[in-house]
Amino acid sequence: MSALEIKHLFGLRGVSKHDIRMILDNAKQFREILERPVKKVPSLRGMTVVNLFFENSTRTRTSFELAEKRLSADTVNFTSSNSSVKKGETLVDTLKNIEAMKIDIVVVRHKGTGVPKFLAENSNAIIVNAGDGAHEHPTQALLDMLTIEEKLGTLEGKNITIVGDIRHSRVARSNLWGMTTMGAHVTLCGPSTLMPRNTDLMDKVTWESDVKKAVANADAIIALRLQKERMDDALLPSMREYRNTFGITEELLENVKDKVIIMHPGPINRGVELDSDIADGKHSVILDQVTNGVAVRMAVLFLLAGGRANEDV
Amino acid sequence: MKTYKNYGYGLMGNTDSVVLKNLKLWNGRKFEQRETLAINSCGRIVDAPEEGSKEFDCKGALVMPALFGLGLDFMAPLRDDVYTFGDGLDAMHRGGFYGGLYESVANPIDDIEKLSAAAKRLVQNGCYSDLEIKFLGAYSQEFGSNSLSEMVELSQGLTDSFGKSIVDGVVGFGDGNAPIPHSRFLRLAMEYGKMTGKRFFFQPMDKTLRNSGCVHEGAYSDMLGMKAIPRVAETIAAYTILEMARFLQVPVHFKQVTCGETLDLIRTARKNGLDVTCDVGLYHLLLDDSCLETLDSCYHLIPPVRSAKDCEALWTGIEDGTVNAISMNHTPVLRQDTLVNFEDSVPGAVSLEIALPAIWNKLSARVGEARAIELLSTAPAKLAGAQPACEVGSDKPVNLVVLAADKPHQVESSDFAGHVYNSPLLGKELPSSIVGSYIYGVWSEA
Repeated sequence: MSALEIKHLFGLRGVSKHDIRMILDNAKQFREILERPVKKVPSLRGMTVVNLFFENSTRTRTSFELAEKRLSADTVNFTSSNSSVKKGETLVDTLKNIEAMKIDIVVVRHKGTGVPKFLAENSNAIIVNAGDGAHEHPTQALLDMLTIEEKLGTLEGKNITIVGDIRHSRVARSNLWGMTTMGAHVTLCGPSTLMPRNTDLMDKVTWESDVKKAVANADAIIALRLQKERMDDALLPSMREYRNTFGITEELLENVKDKVIIMHPGPINRGVELDSDIADGKHSVILDQVTNGVAVRMAVLFLLAGGRANEDV
Repeated sequence: MKTYKNYGYGLMGNTDSVVLKNLKLWNGRKFEQRETLAINSCGRIVDAPEEGSKEFDCKGALVMPALFGLGLDFMAPLRDDVYTFGDGLDAMHRGGFYGGLYESVANPIDDIEKLSAAAKRLVQNGCYSDLEIKFLGAYSQEFGSNSLSEMVELSQGLTDSFGKSIVDGVVGFGDGNAPIPHSRFLRLAMEYGKMTGKRFFFQPMDKTLRNSGCVHEGAYSDMLGMKAIPRVAETIAAYTILEMARFLQVPVHFKQVTCGETLDLIRTARKNGLDVTCDVGLYHLLLDDSCLETLDSCYHLIPPVRSAKDCEALWTGIEDGTVNAISMNHTPVLRQDTLVNFEDSVPGAVSLEIALPAIWNKLSARVGEARAIELLSTAPAKLAGAQPACEVGSDKPVNLVVLAADKPHQVESSDFAGHVYNSPLLGKELPSSIVGSYIYGVWSEA
């Protein structure tokens, strides 16, 4: 097995097909391990991972923490609410202090675009992006890709439609970079106030404002969570109109492929971007995404740490 | 590492006499080859060198009028323990600036006491009245757009009991980098300020369209998911200001124009008889938003650098005369405020030390040497009501900068004054270098 070309995981833009393939293949192996009675492997034994979360997160942090524990790493959780960041400490000082405690990997979530890259430039630790602003959320996209491959066999040539608040979505950005690299056709759909305004550098995807057209030929539909703040910002008139115009409903799915899969990064606003019947229905693979999230994060941590315990898997 | 002395600005009668050799001297129309140029201890160009003059071989370098900087902010007195007025003056000297228009963003000059305090700090740091530092006053108290500042007193300055000027009045009014106020306050401020006859300086920016944006709204901001400022935030603000200026017949100046659409509005306004001037920022001519891809906070500038197309439109405005001057917008940002990610960093960049070598070659190639000197020296000085750096043919003291146009220079942190080096050009190679300057009687070699 060759090593990853990347040294950190900041995002999926610019990450090679080779690296994404390697992460997904490793994740599949870890996925199998997660089905075993004993789910723990010693791959990161002796290594320390800090989960540095400056934004609230439950599922991503839990998923990372579980992945770290499954790999036998020592883990520390660091959130801004209980840190000296609130006392005015700079980001670099926070990191330097943590680094002085001899940590190996930092998993970071922050509201600011580029924070993972900034931290990597100012430390020796391996940095994994768990979401930076509206920039990227690479492990979410990787788990989405893993789920699609698991359900549909391959990403190559598949039509993936992402519906919702594309402009503010780090999940959409990571998915469009990663999925197009892997040969999928990506269609992005949402209300015009929630779509990027300048798409010159995102020209490998299809932009569609009519959700019926967007999903008509889709093999997978990813519904994005709609933030309630978008109404306060006057980006949308109401949840009701959004649901009726862009929501994934039974009616909408009447004219799609039979084997289409429905995905969502969670947490779901039931009855807004996704109807309950759909979220719990036969097309939904949402809980598989959650399981795959642990496997993908195990693969990312394992490979970035050097893949040294490949034999143990 | 370079060392710079404490200059002791403008101590006339105790100045350096120098003989520059092997140079190309600007004669007001072109650079002419000269074997020697002698400057006496009164700062005047003379035929015969004084005894004991310092000698300097320019090795064919260009000797031109020193520069005048628009948009100087030395951050003091808010944090003058870190970056002082003295550092700002040092930066000016390093970059070959003989004067500038000072406008504190951190501490608005909105009454006569603050103007007096700012002037006093200049003197305390060795700047005497003959250095051409002019001040912009705020038009609203604390840039709040709620209460008018004391514009009449600010414009008059301070005199002693014998009628001698202690502090010159401000040369115009502006609220720093604050977005333009709501229309009613804008009207009242301009209406009241009209009594002074001074020009209003605006950085055209609509507050609501700016929102919390920090970069140009374009392909890069959307690709990176960054909060952005659209061009229309500038053009709508510019249009509002121009319409108010037309209504009230008040002269206005636009600071740091960033796009061609605003220049079009200015062209039209001038055709309609409005007294409107504008400048573009140094970095807006040198950078475009592709630099955002690095996510480096050194590119965090407000207003933001825009697309390559916008940058080219600014150059067109430079070429066709729409743009009056190139501004420096020298804004020191403390090191700790740059040790964060892009969006959380404090915007601004220092520029004085490297402006001339950064832009001279490109600027003079595009618009010619005479227009280049006008944009960097005479025109900004005129906007600020300052004396020119030197007048050809007169026997007044001269202020000169010596530029080796073909000697590249790698920008290092030690090039900057005050241990503050937040510049997008740090680490980059500039096409030319400053090798010396003669400013208010002080000769210094880089």
